[in-house]
Amino acid sequence: MSPDTRVAVAEVAELPPGARKLVEVEGKSIGLFNVNGTVVAILNACPHELAPVCRGRVTGTTLPSPPGEFRWGRDGEILCCPWHGWEFDLLTGEALADKRRLRTYPVTVEGGTVYVQV
Amino acid sequence: MALPYPVVDTDIHNVVSARRIQECLAEPWRSRYAAGSRGPGHLGYWNPNGVMRSDTTLPDGSKLEGSPDGLATEFLGRYGIDIGILNPAGTLHMGLSPDPDYAAAVCHAENRVVADDWLTADPRYRASITIAPNDPHQAADEIHRWAGHPGFVQVLMCSGARMPYGQRYYHPIYEAAAAHGLPVAIHPGTEGIGIAYPSTPAGYPSTYFEWHTGLVMNYIAHLVSLVCEGVFIRFPALRFVFIEGGVSWLPPVLWRFDKNWKALRQSTPWLERPPSEIAADHVRLTTQPIEEPPSSTRCSACSPPRGC
Repeated sequence: MSPDTRVAVAEVAELPPGARKLVEVEGKSIGLFNVNGTVVAILNACPHELAPVCRGRVTGTTLPSPPGEFRWGRDGEILCCPWHGWEFDLLTGEALADKRRLRTYPVTVEGGTVYVQV
Repeated sequence: MALPYPVVDTDIHNVVSARRIQECLAEPWRSRYAAGSRGPGHLGYWNPNGVMRSDTTLPDGSKLEGSPDGLATEFLGRYGIDIGILNPAGTLHMGLSPDPDYAAAVCHAENRVVADDWLTADPRYRASITIAPNDPHQAADEIHRWAGHPGFVQVLMCSGARMPYGQRYYHPIYEAAAAHGLPVAIHPGTEGIGIAYPSTPAGYPSTYFEWHTGLVMNYIAHLVSLVCEGVFIRFPALRFVFIEGGVSWLPPVLWRFDKNWKALRQSTPWLERPPSEIAADHVRLTTQPIEEPPSSTRCSACSPPRGC
């Protein structure tokens, strides 16, 4: 990422692990999430029906398991859309049960500032 | 968002204040309601995402669906909705209470609050008259009470039932609705609770996911009953609305229905034309939540016939 195409969107101190911040960058609503120490930037539009997905719950999920068994995991890594409940992997943008994915943007952290390249 | 047609949201789940319902109840019902007896209870199926949208908190911390003004501004206004039909969340299940008098009282109180607090708040609001079908005569009285109010545009009852909705027991409801030109709608959520039968003919499913997917079985049973029992022959003005039950099941059910009619129509001689034609004239479905096949062209079989 060349420094001149990135936009400063937050101070690192605003985004401790588990925190989120909604920002406007060049007319786009973007959600910043600190996922267990990694900051990610996601377009606030669900690829299903354009819901404000970044207002959804951040949670874990049930991991693959045989019938009748339940294994909880990935706490803090899963974003649930507030309209229809689709689950997304915050670290990759992929939906857990569909081919569509979140639009993500490269993030850099430098000198205590979070930058997003839009 | 200028569209060449009006946008109607057919199924807005506003939340009517329980405190206001309580105020509108006479004793002995008021004390019962205040003590927390608000219906026949739920089976405990759990939607991990919640049933209501989770992004509807207003800046002051209140919930959008609980505020007549907030819903008008932040929902109708924001999404360009010209008409919004209020189907209040929370009281439909009274129709499956074993106590029909209490159910009728709570439905009436809720309709009163809708008329006083909601229909007065914005001209885009319309509402359903909520009734409890566990006493069809009291339900018919409730329809007559509100039918003259221009804000009430349909009758609403739970889709969970203890017998299929075409049967004669329910006809006082249809007679009253047809007399006022009001459609009768059903809405899911109550399958298997209270005095209803299990949500599937096979028995109780285990999860909300399974329960929700199987709701269509109940809708199919009601549709076939309404047509076969001749409800639309007895009440030619009646229209019936299947809310929130999906749409994709309808074409194959009607194909099967028409085929069987050709062989078995002598058991329902009042059906002088194919069931699919009767359904097309009298039945409407709402589209949310619509099924999502891999290709949207697969939905073409669900398109209504020309002229509907």
